[in-house]
Amino acid sequence: MSENAVMTVKAIKAGFKAIRFLADLGIHEGEKIRIVKNDIGPVIVEVKGTRVAIGRGLAGKIKLS
Amino acid sequence: MPKRRPHYGKRYRFHRHRSRVMKTKLGLPKATKHPKRYGRGFRKDFNDHSIEHKIAFLGNPNVGKSSLFNILSGSHVHVGNWPGKTVEKKEGHFILSDEYFSLVDLPGAYSLSARSEEELVTRNFIVDEKPDLICVIADATRLERTLFIALQAMELTNNVAIIINMKDIAEKECIELDIDLLEEKLGVPVLYVCAFEEESIIRIKKFIYDSLHTKKYTFNPAMMVYSQKIEYMIQNISNQIKDRELLREYPTRWVAFRILEGDQIVKDELAKEYDLADIEIKIEKLSKEEQFDPAVEISKRKYNALHHIVYSVVSGYEDFKETTSDKIDKALLHKFWGYLILTAIFAAFFLITFYASSPIITGVDWIFVQFSSWVLTSLESINSPAFLNSLLVNGVIAGIAAVLLFLPIIFIFYALIAILEDSGYLARSAYLMDKVMGKFGMQGSAFLSLIMGFGCNVAGVMATRTIKNKRERTTMIIANSFIPCAARLGVIAFLTGIFFKPWLAAIIMLLLYGVSILLVLITGLIFKLFYERDDPLPLILELPEYRRPRLRSVMNLTWERTGIFLKKAGAFIFVASLVIWFLSNVPYVKPTENTVLLYVGMSPVIVTKISIAEFLGRGLEVITIPLFGFSWKMVVPLIFGIPAKEVIISALSILHPGGITRVLWTIPQVISFLLFQLTYAPCFATIAVIKSETRSWKLTAIGFFYPLIVTSILTVIVFQIFLAIM
Repeated sequence: MSENAVMTVKAIKAGFKAIRFLADLGIHEGEKIRIVKNDIGPVIVEVKGTRVAIGRGLAGKIKLS
Repeated sequence: MPKRRPHYGKRYRFHRHRSRVMKTKLGLPKATKHPKRYGRGFRKDFNDHSIEHKIAFLGNPNVGKSSLFNILSGSHVHVGNWPGKTVEKKEGHFILSDEYFSLVDLPGAYSLSARSEEELVTRNFIVDEKPDLICVIADATRLERTLFIALQAMELTNNVAIIINMKDIAEKECIELDIDLLEEKLGVPVLYVCAFEEESIIRIKKFIYDSLHTKKYTFNPAMMVYSQKIEYMIQNISNQIKDRELLREYPTRWVAFRILEGDQIVKDELAKEYDLADIEIKIEKLSKEEQFDPAVEISKRKYNALHHIVYSVVSGYEDFKETTSDKIDKALLHKFWGYLILTAIFAAFFLITFYASSPIITGVDWIFVQFSSWVLTSLESINSPAFLNSLLVNGVIAGIAAVLLFLPIIFIFYALIAILEDSGYLARSAYLMDKVMGKFGMQGSAFLSLIMGFGCNVAGVMATRTIKNKRERTTMIIANSFIPCAARLGVIAFLTGIFFKPWLAAIIMLLLYGVSILLVLITGLIFKLFYERDDPLPLILELPEYRRPRLRSVMNLTWERTGIFLKKAGAFIFVASLVIWFLSNVPYVKPTENTVLLYVGMSPVIVTKISIAEFLGRGLEVITIPLFGFSWKMVVPLIFGIPAKEVIISALSILHPGGITRVLWTIPQVISFLLFQLTYAPCFATIAVIKSETRSWKLTAIGFFYPLIVTSILTVIVFQIFLAIM
């Protein structure tokens, strides 16, 4: 995913704990997020005015469109 | 503010008694189980005001909650730990119109779902202590996110008020809020402030006062309405659990939601008296039919509701705007420059901590040496018994010195951490190191602890506070003993300098450091085995906006934490120093000419006869000579090195009056000694912080014996190999 792109979360295919944690942070289906940084290491996304770093493994399980 | 009436001891006792009665009247659910633990939810400094209100501060991390708490409480802040937890607990109070407002700063949390230790502590407090008012602190620039926890709190209690912070930043970004409309929509009182303005203090106090007193606000928090299916399910669950014992304490609707969300703690509590299997099947059916996770769906609905409210209230907010922080991050989080800057910052951090503190330590040490020699001469002039003199000077004063000598390092360390934390860089460093540390099964936040450990294990253990994951935190606390601190580096430099050519000495030093890092990593892997079932949550880390560190909050943080160190670890170090004094001063056999000088910490001189320590050394020789090659003259320094590693060199030189030479020690002996002293035991100060950080005697014991056992095994193997080949 390119940096600075605003995307919509389509689905999250991860463990239920991670999904719930992300949901509490506002990252759930239908939510718009901006990819701030995506080169190496964890991916940084902006959601609801906050930058959140998400481990690469988990970030890969978030489907965007 | 009204002037405080003077208090008398008698009055104090009376009120303490009264408060106990009041507590039982409140009928706190857990109070019967752990009266000591939960009864002290709100600390009472002598309170002679007839009306008392309990206020809890709740909010996300990075919303300025602690600064608000600090300006309200002024100097009346008490910092401790939550009972049985490693989470910090802050209490304070203020007085307005002769009424007493006790404040508790709850740990920063994103939700009340009790997923982390912080969230659990927060929720338990609200549920069990039932504060009169919960002040939710929100951030004006990020209302949607920071009000989420307010909605959760509203489900639990009606007594919610919202303080929106960061007015200054919002105004700079031209964000405007319609506070009246927000109040109307949420149905709770709302205040809009900037924590750093002087006039805010009285506004907030008045706001809290009004929220509790006037009828201006009708406490009727907007109840969330969920989809029909969920509402039906909630009704269903509510009907089934309605008459249960547990529900006398909590709102039925809230418990029903917890069950629907699959909250294990609430379910376990209910399961004691009620079979939930029936409900679980229904929930499972619902989530299959609707293809959602109820917990996620509920969060989503809350956020959606909030989105609509915030959208109508806020104007001028631009979503997904590139901020200054983003621009700074372009450099600081760059895949190459970012690491270079990180290295530079932490190198500076490390150097400042240990170099800035060393002149102060020398100064403090000098004062203590002068002071103790002055005490000694004045005691001798009045002919007090020598035993008493030695106890006072080398036991008591040396004990106090041992504590105070650590203070400069701790203070500077905490001040620097507070600056990094306040500016927002600490989270970035965890982000940067995550990739590197991840290779060793650890998260980025463990990095700071590892680095600090090389200077001083006490600092290293304390740095684990930035690690959020409990398993990793425990691992790093225990593994820190394997990291050779500056004092052990001294021993390595001293001995390798005698026995090896410079180039060989350097290689041996590097090898020893390699061994210790290897031991840390292996410890990480071992602990992973034991904690496997614990949360394997991947990294999800908020990166706060960069801010200029505020002197006041930095100083507050530093004082608070230094205070905790003094209180918790200080007593331990002091007692341990006394124990060492007894060991080395109480003669086991009749005193002979054979006097030995030893240093405890870096301070006064102890004169030992044939003490218990030497007796121990000679006794242990039987085992240590064949296994490690240690003669008693090598064992005794190691025993004295247990409280403080600085002692090893001085003890060695005193026990070898002619100097350590190649004739006295063979190469295998040197290697064995170097390897053993590298990791064999944490010093007393480290043990003290392990205890105060883990709050567990079991982990403290592991922290002491685990390195000892591992190091012994390793040293035996290496010594025997060297013995065989040389």
